[in-house]
Amino acid sequence: MKLMVEFDSDGVQYPNIAAAILRSGVMVNVERAFIDGDEGWALLDVDDKDADMFITALSGKGVSIRIQKDAVSHSLTDCVDCGLCISICQKQVFSFDENWQLVVNSERCVLCGRCATYCPQRALSIQK
Amino acid sequence: MYKSIDEINERIRDGSVRVVSAEEMPNIVDELGVTGALREVDVVTTGTFGAMCSSGAFLNFGHPEIPIRMEKMWLNNVEAYAGIASVDCFIGATQESTTRHSEYGGAHVIEDLISGKSVELHARAKGTDCYPRTSITNEFTLQELNQAIMVNPRNAYQCYNAATNMSDQAIKTYMGFLLPSHRNITYSGAGCLSPLANDPTFSVIGSGTPIFIGGANGVVVGEGTQSSPGVGFGNLMTSGNMKEMSSDYIRAATMTGYGVTMYVGIGIPIPLLNEEIVRHTAVRDEDLKTSIVDYGTPFRDRPVIREVTYAELKSGSVEIAGEEVRCSPLSSYKKAREVAAELKTRIESGSFTMALATRPIDSQKRNKPMAEKGYVYHVNEMMVATFVTITGEESVKEAAKRLLKGETNHLPVIDEENRLIGIVTTYDVSKAFAKDEQDMTVSEIMTKNVITIAPDAPVDFAARTLQQHNIGALVVIDSSRHILGMLNSYDLGDLVGGRGRR
Repeated sequence: MKLMVEFDSDGVQYPNIAAAILRSGVMVNVERAFIDGDEGWALLDVDDKDADMFITALSGKGVSIRIQKDAVSHSLTDCVDCGLCISICQKQVFSFDENWQLVVNSERCVLCGRCATYCPQRALSIQK
Repeated sequence: MYKSIDEINERIRDGSVRVVSAEEMPNIVDELGVTGALREVDVVTTGTFGAMCSSGAFLNFGHPEIPIRMEKMWLNNVEAYAGIASVDCFIGATQESTTRHSEYGGAHVIEDLISGKSVELHARAKGTDCYPRTSITNEFTLQELNQAIMVNPRNAYQCYNAATNMSDQAIKTYMGFLLPSHRNITYSGAGCLSPLANDPTFSVIGSGTPIFIGGANGVVVGEGTQSSPGVGFGNLMTSGNMKEMSSDYIRAATMTGYGVTMYVGIGIPIPLLNEEIVRHTAVRDEDLKTSIVDYGTPFRDRPVIREVTYAELKSGSVEIAGEEVRCSPLSSYKKAREVAAELKTRIESGSFTMALATRPIDSQKRNKPMAEKGYVYHVNEMMVATFVTITGEESVKEAAKRLLKGETNHLPVIDEENRLIGIVTTYDVSKAFAKDEQDMTVSEIMTKNVITIAPDAPVDFAARTLQQHNIGALVVIDSSRHILGMLNSYDLGDLVGGRGRR
């Protein structure tokens, strides 16, 4: 699953992610991150079965953790099922079902926002 | 065996007509044979739903109490062409709003009208004795218009190029967003369900053919502009009454970085009159070929990367240079099926009858490119063929000397076989001196990703490349990366100054 971790000015002072990995022994994949002197965020991918353990290890002062779900909001009234998003998204969030209807698999999303920018019908948006 | 249009229309009237979609035809013909299929099936419905930029509508507003001969006109701030007498206009789908730019355009005005929304009209005129009024601002809805006739100069392409991008920069095109280094492919068209794919010889489709367009019962006007059926790229000029249309089948869209376009749903019924027509409607995606074209090349004659069938495209991935590349459509196959199904319902319910074309369309016609009368300058005519270079092992200090001696700001870096491997500029060298790094080697400070250009590229393209990268010069190289010259931005100034005039 994907975890959206936000750091406040205290949270950015300490190597929280590294410490949590060492403490829990859980491997995580940092998919996107932006951290500077004042604040920051990181999108982490962690195996479902290890998630609780890792969240416990990462929890602490200056760190807030949220499970990232439904990252892509898909308007069924605006979408015409053209499928342009399918090949634009390199994370394979989008696919067709057997009736050529668009299927959105939000769990794979890394919030790059490219699908929302390039959807011809403006039927996609990213919830950050 | 033959069947007449009258026979088919009689069956439509008495409710016994047999209609199938073009998707079902190949299996029917396999099972019953061509003659059997002709006996069993009367009409084949087709459908497509995709971006059709070349679309628009004629609107007539009626005369206000003080009459006006509108000359310039805007609908929700989108300019419409008003040079067609007093209170008419043509609103083109791709025209963009003066205030919201590519997020709102002619296509959005059309979709808003079809959805019943009110649209603001603003028009100006010079004022005459018979049309004294000089300006008008008014709100109107579709129902208030006398006529709203969609006329689309170029719709329903027989097939269309698939697009990829072989360059190392992502590009924004009317074929959607194309990732660098052929990481995706986009394509358009419904393949075996496409109207013209089922009648490539135009044996039934011609001027006057009844069609489904945007939800209305419309008509084929005739050959579309730029139609090229002789090479498999035929298209149609179509028309329909906007008042009968629905936003289920007309959708405004924006291809980000390209502009506004309109998705149009078009379905054409093909009456099965003889065996030749039956054979054509039995076409499969496997039989329909198109080319994957490199849109990273900004010229008209873009290189073909490979041939591909619609079956391969619809599978979701296609091989290019040994790699599986993901591909996706920008037209909607689901909507194309809905169009074909809705058309079938209308025919079966008796509300849509067949007609023969009143004038045929030339199926051998080929499209011609523009013959530019003005002279097009190419990079090799404007570049400077004398230039100085340096190797990566030499020092920054040596680079400084070389720049001064060559009276240039750009120093291409070459390897032992004289191939381009990098570039250093006066800025890079000054920076190194300022940091006391003049003893470093050129390869340590050079930019490796050099922006280059081919000698046969038009200078307009060179100017756009300079602007896009915000740089002062391009290195002109051949296909083996040997340097042929330098093209400086100030050399292009000569074009404006007069040297370029012939």
